[in-house]
Amino acid sequence: MDDVSFLPTFPLAAANMMLVGAVLLCGLAAGQVFVRFLRLPRITGFVAAGLLLGPAVLNLLDQSMLDELSIFVDISLGLILFELGRRLDLQWLTRDRWLLASSVAESLLSFLLVFATLRLFNVGGVYAATAAAIAMATSPAVILMIMHDRRAKGALTERLLALTALNNVFAFLLITLLFGFVHLEYKANWVKAVAHPLYLIFGSIVLGYLAFMIARWLARWLGKREEAQFVMLLGLIVTTVGFAISFKLSVLLALLAFGVFVKNRDRDHSLMAVEFGPGAQFFLVVLFVITGAGLQLSELAVAGAIGAAFVVARAAGKLVGITMFAPLSGLTQEKAVLLTVGMMPMSAIAVVMVQGASALYPEFGARLSAIVLSAVVILELVGPLATQWALTRAGETEATRPAEART
Amino acid sequence: MSLEFTKSDAFTMGVELELMILSTHDWDLMRGAEDLLALIAKLQHPGDIKPEITESMIEISTSVHRGYHEMLAELVAIRDTVLTQAQRRNLAISGGGAHPFQHWSEQRIFPKERFFHLHEMYGYLAKQFTVFGQHIHIGVTSGDDAVYLAHAMSRYIPHFIALSASSPFSQGIDTAFDSSRLNNINAFPLSGTMPFVRDWAEFNAYFDTMRDLKVVESMKDFYWDIRPKPEFGTIEIRVCDTPLTVAKAATLGAYAQALARHIMIDRPHEPSIDLYRVYGFNRFTACRYGLQGGFIDAYSRERRGLKEDIAATLDAVAPHFRELGSGEALAAIVASLETGQNDSGWLRENFRKHGALSDVVRLQSQLWAQP
Repeated sequence: MDDVSFLPTFPLAAANMMLVGAVLLCGLAAGQVFVRFLRLPRITGFVAAGLLLGPAVLNLLDQSMLDELSIFVDISLGLILFELGRRLDLQWLTRDRWLLASSVAESLLSFLLVFATLRLFNVGGVYAATAAAIAMATSPAVILMIMHDRRAKGALTERLLALTALNNVFAFLLITLLFGFVHLEYKANWVKAVAHPLYLIFGSIVLGYLAFMIARWLARWLGKREEAQFVMLLGLIVTTVGFAISFKLSVLLALLAFGVFVKNRDRDHSLMAVEFGPGAQFFLVVLFVITGAGLQLSELAVAGAIGAAFVVARAAGKLVGITMFAPLSGLTQEKAVLLTVGMMPMSAIAVVMVQGASALYPEFGARLSAIVLSAVVILELVGPLATQWALTRAGETEATRPAEART
Repeated sequence: MSLEFTKSDAFTMGVELELMILSTHDWDLMRGAEDLLALIAKLQHPGDIKPEITESMIEISTSVHRGYHEMLAELVAIRDTVLTQAQRRNLAISGGGAHPFQHWSEQRIFPKERFFHLHEMYGYLAKQFTVFGQHIHIGVTSGDDAVYLAHAMSRYIPHFIALSASSPFSQGIDTAFDSSRLNNINAFPLSGTMPFVRDWAEFNAYFDTMRDLKVVESMKDFYWDIRPKPEFGTIEIRVCDTPLTVAKAATLGAYAQALARHIMIDRPHEPSIDLYRVYGFNRFTACRYGLQGGFIDAYSRERRGLKEDIAATLDAVAPHFRELGSGEALAAIVASLETGQNDSGWLRENFRKHGALSDVVRLQSQLWAQP
């Protein structure tokens, strides 16, 4: 017998790579099945694939594998939030004041209604508030993916993006502030309760700003070459995600801030509006499969009623907030309703926010996830469908002729 | 059944401008016409604001004017109305004859019966028709005058092409043309020029034949460079690219007005079939080289620079500019001859300076909004 073996040994080397590749291919296949045979959005297929492979059903993707894949989740979310931030045009808010008003109204009302509903179910104050803050945010991943898939373009799509960007900002800020109360709930001292939210908010924004300064400097050096700027931004996004994790800052807030600075502070327009397109698809498919795998059907059994009430309260808050200001923004009531339906998705971001809370106090995280994740299960599956339906109905997607959309 | 020619006051004018609706995110064309028009419909505003064939276009038109200043003031007011509503939707608006990097395949037909019909009839040409032009109407008192003026004016068509040219980029490349837009129009079966008919009766005979042959249904089906517009009582000059500013649009209108007055009063040349022998060459050269192009005079049979021909024409027309109170328009044309720069030159210069076509679009939308 020779010592040197050329045959593979177990556990297999490069198992991680196979895992990522397999996740990608399974997601792709499921997406295809959903589009072709069920006529449902691809995203729902990705999530369903994750759900099937994950701990909830087949357990082929177990929790330890999911933990290994978490780097992909972070990078994907970084990409998405950067893209979302780039869609937040602060000048628009000064030109159409009712846009900001309707955003504040829908965010606030969905917060209040979800909070009140959860209190009715006897959920503790801090838990109810944190869950309600999570309810404010619309999933940018779903919105951007549906937009991309259906080649949606138009007034409603633009508004949907702006409102999504805003309600994510509000949700991040509120959740971060609520961390202070979580600390108090767990008998931490008040210095920690004040300092931690401040560190998270300002630290993340400063990190986003630094990333923006470096991006602008690199863009000037590279010139107006789309491929070069694409790679540069991707590199910076990944690096910023890494820094945010290392410094225990908020990946979500830092990358969102990065995007907002790029859109609003790049005065000489050195940075191009590069599209992430196919490059980002890889990350997005993996993200949705992993999010699906993270779902627990058992949550639905235990907290199904709370989840359903959560979903209804959230929808009601958004509906009232948007329709209230619709006439002032020159939107018809029909468009306002479509906009609300489009804003339903809630997904990976909510899961990550729950995880952020878990990292502080595991017990808090466990109790919070029982409340939030049942709603996420529902909206993860129904949300993409809602957005796709709304954009199609508004006649802004590619596949339909407007004549049909208007009947 | 013949076409009735509505009599209108001689040398009155009006302009129509097709405008781009743009995304402020990536400066590509944006579908927004329907929403924008719904916002505008609730407002009182001068002129007319209408949809065009694809959803990323909008058309504005002035009422009938005698004077350059009144027309410019109305254009400014219409522009501001559109701009204010567009900004509520975070859209930008701009002039320019073609969007520099849009892809025609991504355009969508505006939901209106006539536009769907055009799309069915012309296929991809209808979407490639996402180009933006200025149409100038000049009032005439009779159909015979309309035919006369349309023929005589065709000598000067290269002037309008070169002065207005603002479509050097198309589908992401520099076309080497100053006006690439007119190449899109050439593809249509009924583009080109009006046949050499002598008067309104002959024109009517021609029109009736074409209608009996089922080639056309109405005057709208002719995409000629200049056509009589019997319902308005005007001739319509259709070769101009939409300029980058409303001021330029008013200048071009005033030039057409003064030139029409010169033609009808001074009668410098009688219309001749010879005009159409050199027409295609002159038109091509003006599209390709703009103000740096050459020009063949059908009457003197001389070849000269287009700039010299415009300068000589301006000398002859100057009294009419003064008579009509549009000396400022004359000065503006003289100034652009001196620099040799049209809007296409401006666009190319900004592309060189900034390096990306999206920057060019952003800057042209800023120029459009400039008070």
